[in-house]
Formats: sequence, C-alpha cells, structure tokens
Amino acid sequence: MNQQGRLHPITIAIRDIADIFGRMGFGIAYGPELEDDWHNFTALNVPDDHPARDMQDTFWIKDQPGKVLRTHTSPVQIRYMEEQMKKGIKPPYRIIVPGKVFRNEATDSTHEAQFFQVEGLVVGEDITLAHLKGTFSQFFKEYFGPDIKTRFRPSFFPFTEPSVEVDVWFEKEQKWLELGGAGMVHPKVLENAGVDSKKYQGFAFGPGLERIVMIKYGIPDARLFHSGDIRFNYAFGEEKI
Amino acid sequence: MKVSLKWLQTYFDTPLPGAEAISDAYTFHAFEIDEMQGDMLDVKVLPNRAADCLCHRGLAKELGAILDLPLKSDPLRIELPMYDLGGPTSLVVEIEDSKKCARYMGALVKGVKVRPSPDWLREALEAVGQRSINNVVDATNYVMLNVGQPLHAFDAAKLSQKDGAYAIGVRMAKEGEKITTLSGETYELSPNIQLITDANTDKPIALAGIKGGSAAELTGETTDLIVESANFDGTTTRRAAQALKLFTDASLRFQNRPSPELAAYGMRGVLALITDIAGGEVVGVVDEYPARATAPSPVSVSLEKINGVLGSNFSRDEVENVFKRLALPYMVVHDVFTVTPPFERTDLTIAEDLVEEVGRIIGYDKVPATELPPLSSTPDQARYRGIERMKDQLVEQGFIEVSTQSFAKAGDVTLANPLDKNMPALRTSLEGNLQDALARAKYAAPLVLAPGQKPKLFEVGTVFAKEGEHIELRMTERVPEWGESAGTVDNLSVAKLEDYGKEYLPARYELGAYKTFSIYPFITRDIAFWAPAGTDVGRTTSYIQEKAGELLVRLDQFDHFEKEGRVSYAFRLVFQSMERTLTDEEINGVMAGIAGALQGAGYEVR
Repeated sequence: MNQQGRLHPITIAIRDIADIFGRMGFGIAYGPELEDDWHNFTALNVPDDHPARDMQDTFWIKDQPGKVLRTHTSPVQIRYMEEQMKKGIKPPYRIIVPGKVFRNEATDSTHEAQFFQVEGLVVGEDITLAHLKGTFSQFFKEYFGPDIKTRFRPSFFPFTEPSVEVDVWFEKEQKWLELGGAGMVHPKVLENAGVDSKKYQGFAFGPGLERIVMIKYGIPDARLFHSGDIRFNYAFGEEKI
Repeated sequence: MKVSLKWLQTYFDTPLPGAEAISDAYTFHAFEIDEMQGDMLDVKVLPNRAADCLCHRGLAKELGAILDLPLKSDPLRIELPMYDLGGPTSLVVEIEDSKKCARYMGALVKGVKVRPSPDWLREALEAVGQRSINNVVDATNYVMLNVGQPLHAFDAAKLSQKDGAYAIGVRMAKEGEKITTLSGETYELSPNIQLITDANTDKPIALAGIKGGSAAELTGETTDLIVESANFDGTTTRRAAQALKLFTDASLRFQNRPSPELAAYGMRGVLALITDIAGGEVVGVVDEYPARATAPSPVSVSLEKINGVLGSNFSRDEVENVFKRLALPYMVVHDVFTVTPPFERTDLTIAEDLVEEVGRIIGYDKVPATELPPLSSTPDQARYRGIERMKDQLVEQGFIEVSTQSFAKAGDVTLANPLDKNMPALRTSLEGNLQDALARAKYAAPLVLAPGQKPKLFEVGTVFAKEGEHIELRMTERVPEWGESAGTVDNLSVAKLEDYGKEYLPARYELGAYKTFSIYPFITRDIAFWAPAGTDVGRTTSYIQEKAGELLVRLDQFDHFEKEGRVSYAFRLVFQSMERTLTDEEINGVMAGIAGALQGAGYEVR
C-alpha cells in the first residue's frame, strides 16, 4: 500500500483561509520573525513607554538592542506597504499574513509562548469599517458554517482607530466567542509606512490562528500544535477535497 | 475597575436599569465586563480611557452617555475653590524634577479625629472589594475611587517643622536608601524610584504615587494631617512599581497618566469629606504646579469623514446627539464638528478618535456589513503556493508534517529574557527538533501508521543563523524520486518558489472533529490464522473487534496469501487505554479470547 503522509492541521487551516481570502482578492505576504523595534512597535504607533516594551511580554535579543521576536504579525503591514511604495505601487492593497509570533507568557492550555496569527490588511481610497464587517462575517461564515453571526465591540489597539473586538456566535454551543482584534488602520501607521493617510484608509485584523482551529475542531489544548507529535496530525479524520 | 451600582446611582436622579442591562451597555459601547457579582461590576477599562475611567465618575459619565441619562452633577465641572495658603510658612513643597512630578498639592488640616468610618463609607468601600481602615484613610480611598485621583494623608505630628513650617520634598531615592511602607515591608531603593520626603530632615515618608511609609502613619492619636493630591509621571511610577513588585491602586492610576488638572478636584473632594466625617479645619493648601497641563486642542471631524470611515449613513443629528450625550463641548459649522475635549479626556486628539466615539455610542451594530469592492488585479499568492506545493509533494511521498518550537538549547541568536532557561537560544536548524520528533514518531508509529510503514517527517519553519533568518524545509530522509542531488534540507527563502507556485492550487483537506489521544503506553500484538478460501475478511475483522473490545485502538491486516485451498491472514492489533497503563497479562487474556473466537469460527490460529 502506498504510504500517504499528512499535513499539519495549521497548514490545512491556512489553506482554507488563503482560499477564502483569495476569492476576496487577498494576496499572501511574509515577514521576518526576528523583528526590529521600528516595525514591531514604533511604526505601529506603540508609544515609547508602552508596557510591552519593558522586559515583560516581549522576547528581546541578547547583545542586539532594539531586536525582538515579533509579538504580532502586524509589523508585516508596515513592511508590505513600505515595499510596495518603494516599488511605486500605490494602494489598493489586500493581503493576509499567516505567521508565527512570540509572547513571553507562561504557557497553559490556552496560551503558548509561540503561536500563529493571521494578519489582514486592506488599504484603499474608500475602505470602511463596514467593509471590515462584511469581510469578517464572510470569512467566518465560510470557515465555521453559515449559521454563525458576527458582532463588533469597542476595543483599543495603538495601531487602529477605531478599534474593535470581534465576537462570533456559535449556534450549536449557543454562545459568543471572542475571536480577535481589528480596526481601521491608524493614520500614523499609514504615514509611517509612507502611505498618504489623507488619500487612503483601510482596515486590519489579527486573530490568533490556533484559537480559530481549536474552536472549529474542538481541540482542548494549544500546546498540542507545536509539540512535534505526529499523533496530533492523526487525531482527526481526514478527507481530501 | 470594580464599580458598585449603588455608587453609580448617586450620579443619577433616574433609577438605573438592572445589572444585566448595565453590563450590556458597557460591553457594546465602552468596555468589557470581567465579572458581575451582586451590586459589583468589574469593568475592564481600555488603556486609552484609563486616564479618566478608573473611577465611578468616569464610568457614570460613560453610562450616562450610553443610556442617554443626564448626570445629576459632574464633580469635574464644578468650579474649584480658591485656597488659602494658610500663611506663607505653614507648609512648603519642593519638587526636584517637574518631569517626574508635574504637580503637588499639599493641605494642612488640623484638629481631626481619626475614628472608624461611618457605615455608608465602610459599605461603599467594601462593595468594591476595599477594606475600611479609618475615616481619614477611607476618605482618601473613596475620593480616589470616585474621581480617579490618588490621595494620601500623613500624620503631621510625625513630620518636623522648621521655622514653624512643614516641608514636603519630592525627589529620587538614593542608592541603597530604605523605606518601610504602611504594611510593614521594608524596601531597599534605587535611584529610579521617586520618593516623598520630610524635606526638613530629608527622610522618606512615601513611595511617590505607590504607597505611604510607616514613618508618618496615621493613628488614633493623630490630630493634624498633611493631605497629598499630586501628579506623578506615568513611566516613572510604573517602572518603580515594577521594580518593587508593588502594584497599588495609586500606581495603576498614575501609570495611565491622568491630567495634573485632576489633582485639584481630588483635593477639593477629599478635604470636604475629611472635614465632614473626621472634623478638623483646613489651615492652608499649597499648590506647587511647575509643569502645567496644556489644555487639550480642539479636534475637528466632518460628517462625511465619520460616515466615510465607518461606512455608515448617520445623520448630522445622530452625530450631534453623540457629542451631547458625552457632554463634549462642540461646535458645528457646515457639517464639520469641532470638539474641545475637557481636560480629563486625554484620549481625544485626532479626527479618528471622534469617529470612534460616534461609532461606539451609536453602536457598531448600526454599521452595515459591506462587501469589498472588486479588484482589477489578481491576488499574489505565488510564494505561498510554491511552499505549499513542496509540502504536497512530500505528503505524496508519505511524509508527515510537524511543527516544533523555535527555541533551542544553543544557537547563534540568544534571548535576553528566555522563558525557559534551558532553551535560551533560537534554532539554527530544524534538524534537532525533527530528530527528536522522529524518535517519538517511531514509538507512536504503530498507533497511526500501517504495519511496515515507517514515519518520515518534515517541517517548514524559520531558523535563525548568524547571517540572518530564513525559512528552512527539512526532511528526516531523502526523497529518491527527487534525484541524486536532492538532499534533506532546502532554504525556501532563496528558492525561486514564485514561478513554481504561481499556477499551483494547494491540495485541500476536510478534517473531522478532534479525537483526544491517550498519553498511556500501548501494546501491539500480531495474530495469524488459516481460514477457508472465500472467507469474508469483513466478518473476520468483526470477530476480532468484538472480542478485543474498547481497548483496541487500531487494527491492520498486514498479510494474506492463499495456499492449498486456504487463506492465511495476519493482523496487527494495537491496544491502549485512555485511563491507565495496560499490563501484558490482561492483553494476553484478550488475545486468548480472540484466538478462541476465531477457532470457534473454524479458523486455525497459527
């Protein structure tokens, strides 16, 4: 019998997500995991004395001041826009960024020091919060099933204004689950990446990938994902589509 | 921030709705609620509003705006009194660095009686999880929780006087200087910790913005007070609290940078309450205010911009109503709103901040969900697809993809603050983790692979070498089909994957629900037997499964051949329990049962 291998569930999820967003016009971008202070914090409008910059939640690099393990995929927003502007390519931009991020936090069944985020960035002349809502609700409907509902609550992130928290309603469980932050890109963030904030605006989002996958398949522990244990790959029935 | 509904009610004439409705009002228009317990709500105030909302007044104001209920009166809008200095020499304040202490108000109060608090005050504090100490200390806490200004009272008799005047100093600590706090702990200090001192003796009496010292602690004998209402720098206070691992209600508030203007409102509130419940007389109030707060600048936003950012269709009246409800002073000219934020709203600085106020107060449920406009270009997923194509090729060759930790025992890049001291570096290669995963995969193979198959693994992940990071693809063995030159590792950051991926559609899989796997060891057994030719293998499998019971987690037929009118079958059985380690004896028993069943069916077990 021909031996068939197995992809990791994160790969399978990223493919689902890339497909849904691809049909909505999103490309896929990458950026470094070892970031500099500018892209991880300053350009994203995180103030100099923000607690994240202390030796708290962030991994800093020995003998390389100003270098961090990226704490989110948002620095790729800046890198992508910088690169496009350098090439003379102006918005519209539409990308997702699936990638590993790092937080210096004690681990438990819902927290890992390393996990994946799926950043999203849309920039154009007339992109609105209503588009964010439309995009998110389409994504969640396709990923989780048609009977979900999406709602926004006020939130705060230095790099978006207004900022929202996104909840998704799961009919089967009869409850709302918080699925990540989003908002309209802060004009300073656009300016820091060289994009004219008078002409362009956009939205960004960055839900945690493991959480989405855990909810979809009923996985109880975030630590299973990056354990290198092949039993995790085989803990699901698998069918090629 | 814990708030009491009874306390919030003091701000309104109209009776407030029930806790559920208030919780929803905050959740969908301002802040999440962490906990609800009877009369108490724990409100998770967002960082940009922590300057004005870590108090009942701020949260009452929010609630009033959300529910469209007017506040009875707003303590921050009532004109301040002019204070008497109490003679030029009764109290002096010396601030060393106005960047670290923008303002220090000190009041000398004489003739108080320190006693237990009246019931209403004790109950109000206990309702939000605070402990009642005495009437004076409780007054300082109550006013802090009411308007957000941290306050402190010193026993004046424990301070020294020079030429009849008390002197308060605000300075950085000296290396090795010590202070004992009110709760009795002694701290050794470093020069980045700000202190309040008795300036006449230069002795520390409090950790500025964090906690009072025992040196000027109030007792039942206390009659004269120095009351402090100051503004200490957010970063200095936060770093000091962190260094001392002493986070207090006061430090939490200062680290969120309330306006120095607030100090005067706190002082007015606390002096009124102290003299009301503890008696005494305010002799004088000194206001040292070297770094005066600049009034917030007006912020303008047009109706068009508001709807243009939110994608909404709000009318001028709806927007105007939001600013009215928030009691933000505004002007409107040709559909352009100009808001002049009151001093405590330090968060309102750009047009988008006002857009947010409109969006959240009207409610994000009133923002429609709109499809993105179509794009003329096709999205670029080429590189991603190139990487995924490599993975698909490997899966076709029987490889299993794993994901492992980026941290390693040693490497070219080391963390300044590792989480695990044994894993202080970043991996330079996937090899170590992959070999470790392979060893475990070999052990687990009988559970997930058919007999005769051996685990082959790969990982795609970032590795960190001296010259920089790159994405590595690594396999536990070569793929012969890929030719002589193909090894077990590839640098996907330099590989030209865009062309390779451009037209490729990555394979898609539908996964079923997750099934927990057991952490206990498993036992494998083989069984082989002769059956008559033409035997239905499905039936044979059923015999085995029925006899094996729930402990059988995997069953593979791995051999079968025909000879002299009979068929030989061989099966591999894997046993495992979710709850315990199985013993050989019990599995021997199970196997004997299976053999018996097969024999009973007329098979010859070999």
